Amino acid sequence: MVVRSYNDELKYLEKINSYCWRIKKGFQPNMKVEGVFYVNDALEKLMLEELRNSCRPGMVGGFLPGVKQIANVAALPGIVGRSVGLPDVHSGYGFAIGNMAAFDMSDPEAVVSPGGVGFDINCGVRLLRTNLTAKDVLPIKEQLAQSLFDHIPVGVGSKGIIPMNARDLEEALEMGMDWSLREGYIWAEDKEHCEEYGRMLNADPSKVSLRAKKRGLPQLGTLGAGNHYAEIQIVDEIYDKWAASKMGIEEKGQVCVMIHSGSRGFGHQVATDALVQMEKAMKRDKIEVNDKQLACARINSAEGQDYLKGMAAAANFAWVNRSSMTFLCRQAFAKQFKMSPDDLDMHVIYDVSHNIAKIEEHMVDGKQKTLLVHRKGSTRAFPPHHPLIPVDYQLTGQPVLIGGTMGTCSYVLTGTEEGMKETFGSTCHGAGRALSRAKSRRNLDYTTVLKKLEEQGISIRVASPKLVMEEAPESYKNVTDVVNTCHAAGISKKTVKLVPIAVIKG
Amino acid sequence: MEAVYVIIGGGIAGISCIEAISLLDESASIILISATPFVKAVTHINPLTKMLAEFSVEEKPFDYISSMFPSVNVVIDSAIKIDPVQRTVTTSTNKIVNYQKLCICTGASPKMIATDCDHVFGIRDIDSAKQLEEKLKDAKRIMVVGNGGIATELIYEIEGVEIIWAIKDKHISATFIDPGAAEFFQDRLVQKDKDAAATVVKTVKYTVGEGEGTKCTGAALGPHWHDRINLIAKNNASKITVEYEVEVSRVKFHGEDGENWPVYVELTNGKTVGCNFVVSATGVIPNSETISIVNGTFDLAEDKGIKVNSLMETNLPNIYAAGDVCSASWPTACHWFQMRLWTQARQMGSYAGRCMVESKRGEETIVDFCFEMFTHVTRFFGYKVILLGLFNAQNLDRNYELLLRVTKKNEYIKLVVSDGKIQGAVLIGDTDLEEMCENLILNQLNVSEFGEDLLNPDIDIEDYFD
Repeated sequence: MVVRSYNDELKYLEKINSYCWRIKKGFQPNMKVEGVFYVNDALEKLMLEELRNSCRPGMVGGFLPGVKQIANVAALPGIVGRSVGLPDVHSGYGFAIGNMAAFDMSDPEAVVSPGGVGFDINCGVRLLRTNLTAKDVLPIKEQLAQSLFDHIPVGVGSKGIIPMNARDLEEALEMGMDWSLREGYIWAEDKEHCEEYGRMLNADPSKVSLRAKKRGLPQLGTLGAGNHYAEIQIVDEIYDKWAASKMGIEEKGQVCVMIHSGSRGFGHQVATDALVQMEKAMKRDKIEVNDKQLACARINSAEGQDYLKGMAAAANFAWVNRSSMTFLCRQAFAKQFKMSPDDLDMHVIYDVSHNIAKIEEHMVDGKQKTLLVHRKGSTRAFPPHHPLIPVDYQLTGQPVLIGGTMGTCSYVLTGTEEGMKETFGSTCHGAGRALSRAKSRRNLDYTTVLKKLEEQGISIRVASPKLVMEEAPESYKNVTDVVNTCHAAGISKKTVKLVPIAVIKG
Repeated sequence: MEAVYVIIGGGIAGISCIEAISLLDESASIILISATPFVKAVTHINPLTKMLAEFSVEEKPFDYISSMFPSVNVVIDSAIKIDPVQRTVTTSTNKIVNYQKLCICTGASPKMIATDCDHVFGIRDIDSAKQLEEKLKDAKRIMVVGNGGIATELIYEIEGVEIIWAIKDKHISATFIDPGAAEFFQDRLVQKDKDAAATVVKTVKYTVGEGEGTKCTGAALGPHWHDRINLIAKNNASKITVEYEVEVSRVKFHGEDGENWPVYVELTNGKTVGCNFVVSATGVIPNSETISIVNGTFDLAEDKGIKVNSLMETNLPNIYAAGDVCSASWPTACHWFQMRLWTQARQMGSYAGRCMVESKRGEETIVDFCFEMFTHVTRFFGYKVILLGLFNAQNLDRNYELLLRVTKKNEYIKLVVSDGKIQGAVLIGDTDLEEMCENLILNQLNVSEFGEDLLNPDIDIEDYFD
């Protein structure tokens, strides 16, 4: 790492406009392209403070600030365009969470990096709509939360309600949501409203270790711990009436259900196995990177291909997992309201992936190129008329689901042309956090957090009470700041704001 | 009588086994042979990470089982004989039960420092807990012998009486924690700082059915067992004295102190202590020899447990064993080892159920992932205590280092690091680190570059490895 004073570091950063900063080459060694990050005033302060802290001797040691991580990614072989930091960017293993980067498939040197996808592969968010309104749900929200809590096994330890043996798992890994459909857990139209139709075709379960399968087996149909949750939400504001109505959101007070989950232990094992393989491949192919955590392999190497096939299997696993929870949610609502999920209009509005790498076509310097786009803590946001988005959203652009944190709000955005040009059709994924949070930790008091959540009128089901604090609004880069920055910068467009009325936490 | 699946023992392992079988095969015919009319049900599962869960165990009347799992028939009787050739179990009233797959979940009994003595008893089932509650009412001084989980919980929960705690180790609670953590708990040993909410003692009336008076003991208590009994003595002088590095050399009924205590215990350090009664909490012995076998014998491990392989099979065909009664005798994963705990009874029971169904169907069984890493969560001195992997550097000789973070009266975090990788963790207090530690142990990701920064209190790294 280059050792410079904070003021010297600032010379490499340039504010392009009110929402966008440029990271010049030289900020970190061997940068092939420039970096960029999106912030508003509040987020800018957090971002720069983090950098300033890291310049103090011994301040954060092994942990790099987000801005340095974005620059290190810009130094990876085969990267094109810019290494992009979204407004919710924060430190993560290798790549920062909230960093996207695209690699040229036609460049034999170009790499794929598991750190650019993350360990919780295809962690993502799904939004279900209902034709219920707040007045239907508020009087019975406690019972409904309880009923959801009973239906969705949180964490694991509790077996998934959907039993699965080794053969089922193999099939699910290969087929993704086609498996869920065949087994009768989802509706055919659910697939239409998922990225990749809920199935990555290059998934190859034979490229996944037995350990990963064992680790995944007891976890299907479960919510997970940590930052995973299901929320009953109501529409709080509609910014774009027309786009919202295309999604079936007609009025304020309408009830939706948001599910946030991923591939859990399975993804962790796939990523870990790949990192080990790639360290060897790097030595062999003499690939040099700025940070050991950025282990990678050439896309066309055996290690690179194996990882992409395993990652796709993990992605399928996550879709099956979210589909299983969709099934259980529909059951819970149907039971509570004594109506079929169909009559409750419980359609999937959309399902987005946060941690994934995909092969996509983009324009680079005026030429169409096939790229491997890494999105880690970042959401795909394709503009209107893009061939890969469903027919229902051809005119609005792809819906983008931004999960807030407990007690705050969530958003639905849509993709824009600007985003396609500037960020390879990518936008933020949620709230973020600052690397050094000692301040918030001291200020945070568990009882006040709970009180605050109660004041907002949401009922909380916490399996592990302390997790409420971990996810508390104060610990995060505020999701509204994050979303407003994306909107103002034009990389996606605000459509709907949702507020939670009940939370089910892993 | 006959059933495809027959389970002996209505403890945590037995009931978990039935749950698993019912989940995988709803119509399976199952017979549960339980010596007592009460069975254990795991409730209020509170998952902390993917592999770690807190749960409560409730004592339920046997008809609870039939109501939850309609295909289960419960036989209230003691199994006395098994014939692996005829595939039959004979009960004490001469009922013959035919099985295709049999699982033995007969648990374990407390080791007693003295038997046949009213003033020395172990805490194992609801009856013995009730006995403790009764005796405690008028007690002035008691002795607790043993240094494991039950002893530690008792020391914290019992109030209003002088306690002599005799342990064989240099520090308290040595079965689970290291000396550092024991030191962390010292404050609480002197001053039990229970908050108001935690001291609500629920006293439950027990209706012990006709099983009372028989020699068969009921199934083991579950975690939080003391929530349901009153452990506050009338005498208000709480005082705890720990006698370190001692064992009991003799129990006698007369002392020379002229105080006329009902029982006197002579310790190996030469002291003789008089008290109202002694709780013996020195571990358990598997109930592996309570049932006679014709046409075969079980292979037993050194600890008297019935040896089982990685499919929970004993050496006798079609007979499985799970929970405290068995000894894991397969080459275990490097971060797992057996301890006779509620957690493992539940895991083994569930897994045995799956093994039985898959074997019946001729399917391949993948060894459950819970045997890849040791996990246990409990509560000592009012703190949440989470133990992961090789939490006490088990099997690591001296090739490891510890990463430590201690905030007085708040948290105690210990990571066992070997070869740059985390091998185990002790997390006391609300640390939020259980999921990260679990993943780092399972992933065996090299974290040497972070050094002690991994526990830097200014940095929250819960989602760094997401």
